[in-house]
Amino acid sequence: MSSSVATAPQSGAEQAKSWRTNRKLDQWIAFWSVPFFFNVFGLVFVPLSWMMPPRSPSSPTPHIVDFMHSHNLLIACLILTLAYGLAPVSNALYLVQIKRMSVSPAFRYSMMIGAITGAIVGMLFPMFCFGLGAFRPGYSPGVLTMLYDFGYLAFIGSLGCFCVMWMAFGLAIILDENRILPKWLGYYTVWQYVTELMAAPVWIAKTGPFAWNGLMTFWFAMALYVSWQFIVYLCIYKTIKNQPESELDNAAPQPAPAAIEVSSRTGA
Amino acid sequence: MTDVAEGSATGVDQSQRAADTRGHVPGEASMWFFVVGDLLIFAVYFVGYMYFRGQNHELFLASQARLNVDIGAINTIVLLTSSLFVALGTAAARAGNTASGLRAFWIALAFGAAFPILKMFEWIPEITAGLTPGKNLFFMYYYVMTGMHLCHVALGLVIMCFVIRNLKTSTMPKISFIETGATYWHMVDVLWLVLFALLYLMR
Repeated sequence: MSSSVATAPQSGAEQAKSWRTNRKLDQWIAFWSVPFFFNVFGLVFVPLSWMMPPRSPSSPTPHIVDFMHSHNLLIACLILTLAYGLAPVSNALYLVQIKRMSVSPAFRYSMMIGAITGAIVGMLFPMFCFGLGAFRPGYSPGVLTMLYDFGYLAFIGSLGCFCVMWMAFGLAIILDENRILPKWLGYYTVWQYVTELMAAPVWIAKTGPFAWNGLMTFWFAMALYVSWQFIVYLCIYKTIKNQPESELDNAAPQPAPAAIEVSSRTGA
Repeated sequence: MTDVAEGSATGVDQSQRAADTRGHVPGEASMWFFVVGDLLIFAVYFVGYMYFRGQNHELFLASQARLNVDIGAINTIVLLTSSLFVALGTAAARAGNTASGLRAFWIALAFGAAFPILKMFEWIPEITAGLTPGKNLFFMYYYVMTGMHLCHVALGLVIMCFVIRNLKTSTMPKISFIETGATYWHMVDVLWLVLFALLYLMR
């Protein structure tokens, strides 16, 4: 960290500074990409394609074929193809903050790999399955039924992959001694990820509360997840706000002494 | 939390410790957040189970009759005994008697470790007899709820090992940490009591 960072004014004047010179700009962009990402997701999944809430695993074949060939599903898959890349941006937020914790880097790497595997299985696989149905109309009803099963099972049955990611996140918060994020959030994360594991029965049950559109495996897990995700983002917002500039680890180019003078004059 | 630990280690500051034990919540407050949340999650499962049980009463009763109540009862006794020793160990550690606290936690750990082993003796014959989670909704609930509980037991055993290490290695054991572990273990016990009643006993 250069000395110009350590002595930078923290209050009042800083707020008046142009947003472009904000040294947390990277984190704020990543932060605000999240509501955008989730809104696009919500719109695509719910009112556009009615992919969510999940259709029944025991739907009759003609319904499945209609759904897989619908134009709305095609548009949804098109938007998803373009928007899926935003997932890494949102995960960058967690990784930046975990790096400041007093815990082993193993937590950060586990979380990174967990997020990657989760995104591949839980996001890319379903998109390929539904996309194949929507963009390649030649498949037989049998193949479409398999793609439908594969898509939903990958989407909902893959929550175990995210489990590792959130376990690393929760444990890192609990074990951290720098108090980067509040301890209760760590415990909250633990019970959130335990319920994600409970998605496993979707592989077995085709009807009832443990099917992929069931009360326990979808509705209950989703209610917990959504409220938890909101609270995590509120906590992350506060953490970014409270992060002292001296703890930013952007490798900024070391300014020459003259440059410091100029920047401090323009900044004031 | 540190003043509690120091008080117990020196054994002089009796009045302060008395004040601490009177008015404070045992363990870390954040653990209580976890306990309350976890109980709520299980409560949703219990309510769901009761609802679907009401819908297919005959099926649930017939399936329930095929469970091994004996192992269930032994496991209940095992967990209750384990919890008793956790309570005794915590009391001993609070009184500054680390050696007997350590002994109590070892016994509690041994009883706790018997639980998953007995569970395997219960599950494996059931699964080989075709009573898998796919059999019907009762068995799905049975495996999901007892499985979720077993995960909690496993985590509790790990926490108990850390408590034992804390008692063994430090000259000033962290009482708040021991209380936190004990709180968690009692929660695991309470959950099992409800599960045992709902899955094995209720007619």
